[in-house]
Amino acid sequence: MGKIVGIDLGTTNSLVAYVDAQTGEPRCIPGPSGSTLCPSVVSIDPDGSIIVGEPARRRLLIQPERSIYSVKRLMGRGPSDVQSELKLFPFRIDPASRNVIRVQLGDKVFTPPEISSFILRELKNWAESYFGETVDRAVITVPAYFNDAQRQATKDAGKLAGLEVLRLVNEPTAAALAYGLHEKRRGKVAVYDLGGGTFDISVLKLISTGEGDIYQVLSTNGDTHLGGDDIDNLLQAFVHEQILQHDQIDFSPHGELAQELRKVLIEIKHQLSETTTATLRFPLPNGNVFVREFTRGALEALIRPVVERTMAPVKQALADAQLKPSELDEVVLVGGTTRTPLIRRTVQEFFDRKPHTELNPDEVVALGAAVQANILDQGVKDMLLLDVTPLSLGIETYGGAVAKVIPRNSTIPASAQELYTTGVDNQTGIDIHVLQGERELAKDCRSLARFTLRVPPAPAGLPRIEVKFLIDANGILQVAAKDLRTGEQHTIEVQPSYGLNDADIERMLEESIEYAEQDFAERQVIEARTEAELILSATAKALANPQAAQLPVTERQKVDASVATLQEAVKGSDYKLIRRQIDELNRATEHLAEVLMSSAVQTALEGKKLAEV
Amino acid sequence: MSTQLPITNPPLVCWNCHERTIGTHFCPGCGKLLQLPQGSDYFAMFELPRKLWIEMDALEQKFLQLSWKLHPDNFVSATEQEREISLKRSSELNDAYRTLRDPIARVEYLLAIEGMRKNGENKQQAPPELLEEVFELNESLDELREAKAEGSDTASLRQRLEAAEKSFGEKLNEVDGALQSKAQEWDDAIDAGANVADRGKIMAQLNELLNRRSYIRNLVVNVQKELL
Repeated sequence: MGKIVGIDLGTTNSLVAYVDAQTGEPRCIPGPSGSTLCPSVVSIDPDGSIIVGEPARRRLLIQPERSIYSVKRLMGRGPSDVQSELKLFPFRIDPASRNVIRVQLGDKVFTPPEISSFILRELKNWAESYFGETVDRAVITVPAYFNDAQRQATKDAGKLAGLEVLRLVNEPTAAALAYGLHEKRRGKVAVYDLGGGTFDISVLKLISTGEGDIYQVLSTNGDTHLGGDDIDNLLQAFVHEQILQHDQIDFSPHGELAQELRKVLIEIKHQLSETTTATLRFPLPNGNVFVREFTRGALEALIRPVVERTMAPVKQALADAQLKPSELDEVVLVGGTTRTPLIRRTVQEFFDRKPHTELNPDEVVALGAAVQANILDQGVKDMLLLDVTPLSLGIETYGGAVAKVIPRNSTIPASAQELYTTGVDNQTGIDIHVLQGERELAKDCRSLARFTLRVPPAPAGLPRIEVKFLIDANGILQVAAKDLRTGEQHTIEVQPSYGLNDADIERMLEESIEYAEQDFAERQVIEARTEAELILSATAKALANPQAAQLPVTERQKVDASVATLQEAVKGSDYKLIRRQIDELNRATEHLAEVLMSSAVQTALEGKKLAEV
Repeated sequence: MSTQLPITNPPLVCWNCHERTIGTHFCPGCGKLLQLPQGSDYFAMFELPRKLWIEMDALEQKFLQLSWKLHPDNFVSATEQEREISLKRSSELNDAYRTLRDPIARVEYLLAIEGMRKNGENKQQAPPELLEEVFELNESLDELREAKAEGSDTASLRQRLEAAEKSFGEKLNEVDGALQSKAQEWDDAIDAGANVADRGKIMAQLNELLNRRSYIRNLVVNVQKELL
């Protein structure tokens, strides 16, 4: 058997961690660049190879139509669910998508679990080259508020990546595990987890018993479509509007320019967590540079609605745990977005307590996943997680109403039995519709599955079929039926309303072998080419700028020659040569970049003066 | 506290070593996790008599202790069959704890296993002496819905409904109090070894109180929803 790891499959970044056998401490595993963060971006090369992480993120700028980010937003959802997302995210959904979304990347289509499996495979590779051993099992984290379909999709992704998913663990619970282990604190803890695309709040009780420590989740709530992405969208829309007014440039929201702007704005957002002002300088295609000073106050006014949206789930989770804010012993912040000062202040005011930020908010979930992976690998020794189901499980009854059979915040595994019979003589089937959610009508809840119980012909009311609904420790539904008259067990083929069936997965597993093992050198070539294309396109753009005419002829010739040699090198597969030519072109264009930047800033400032007069 | 009733689980045969065993969780012969014996119930799972007063701290301790033993985390590398049993046992443990922890669910469950109430049944019973008040309440609710739809002033209607909400809230407290003393009566009857007929009478009264409670609670929830 191979090694076991914990994986945080995030909206923006993904990480892989393990527990060091010597120290017993969890640690994140770095990738080839030395960073432990793997951007959750996937790009498909025209030759069919798959690029993941930082190189894919760079490709987002030059080949947005072959690249995808934030795919987690699409997991376990149907085409009709994501219409609102399509306005904000550059997802190209295949119009032929039915109950499972298919995303167009270049000339290929993939389901969200397949795209996520590429990210998982990359992390598996990181861990394997770190250990020098195979990794075949994993604990993967999911937002606590993920529903059944979203969890199933994540599990499918693990399977497609060649991993046995031993457990799905809720992200805030994983964070609490890492935190509790680190701080050795006990009592009632609230975990506020705002990531790139999802928000969770969990209330836990950390209990010491004779056998060991128990992490018991009392309640959880959240929003699976609320996160840093939403802040970025607000910022981007705001600046688009400004550029439209100022320069009359209305660029397509999902094109290359939009991706570049988004990247710069994210940097501004990060900067404003450290300093109180930051300046945006963004070169426009018309040769102007859009310059704008942002203050932290202005950013906070813009993002306040996003922060406020997190508070209703916080209040609900506390009410469900029957606790007042003051009754909590600790508050822990998790997720990169909680670095935002406004969020820290808001949480601190609400709980009247300084939140914990000692652990790296990007890494803490992966570290907790590694701890749980270690527990499962060794058998429970001195720690046990008791988690809950975030949403009530219900069955549709007459008139489209929902009868709740397992209430939200029930400790999992949890189950419920329902007895069914027939309404007319010789009825051979009973239709059952399983839902998840808190609303009273079936149409307002999430459809999980529909199935038909087969009944042998009998007078009405005579058959007695007991159906058992069970939510397992992953938060995933299982259904079994038993004919109480014959004692016969039925196996139920539950066709998920939004998800892959077994046949889909089998087919994808076969296909995935094509993509599976690209060797190291091949990946190096692809990454070097990506970088070369980036700098070539940037150079071409710079040379097209009217200001480039200021460049002396000899220098212009040098740049042209470097471009030509790099273009030649890219055709071959010597990645070292490509890298050398990239460096050379970088040196050759240094002066060009200076000329453009200074003249652009000048124009921008002059423009400003003129406008002010 | 009063004396505990002896718990007698029916003997069963271990699925693994086929020895007859009286173990509650693990087979004393081979150490394997056992299926829950036929006819066992939530009270038996916690080694409690079928009484309605439960000491909560002790219940929680027992729950945590059993969770250590039964949780699927312990059986990740066990055989498929053991994993199945662990999943079943720990889900039953969680279902039992969820039910017994909640005083209302606990009464409903007791009546269900005693054959007095269908499991999951939620019969709402309008208390006759409240009919007039309920009629008025429903009228006010209709008026408020109409006023909302027309966009006219709802202040006085809201005031009336808030008063009604308070009044029914008090009635809910009354029912809860009545349930509590009836539960005490049940426990005393068990301790005194009451006969089937006497126990049946108390259960019928408990059942009626539950139906009454469910009706009033539903009213309160409906009013709260309209007032939001």
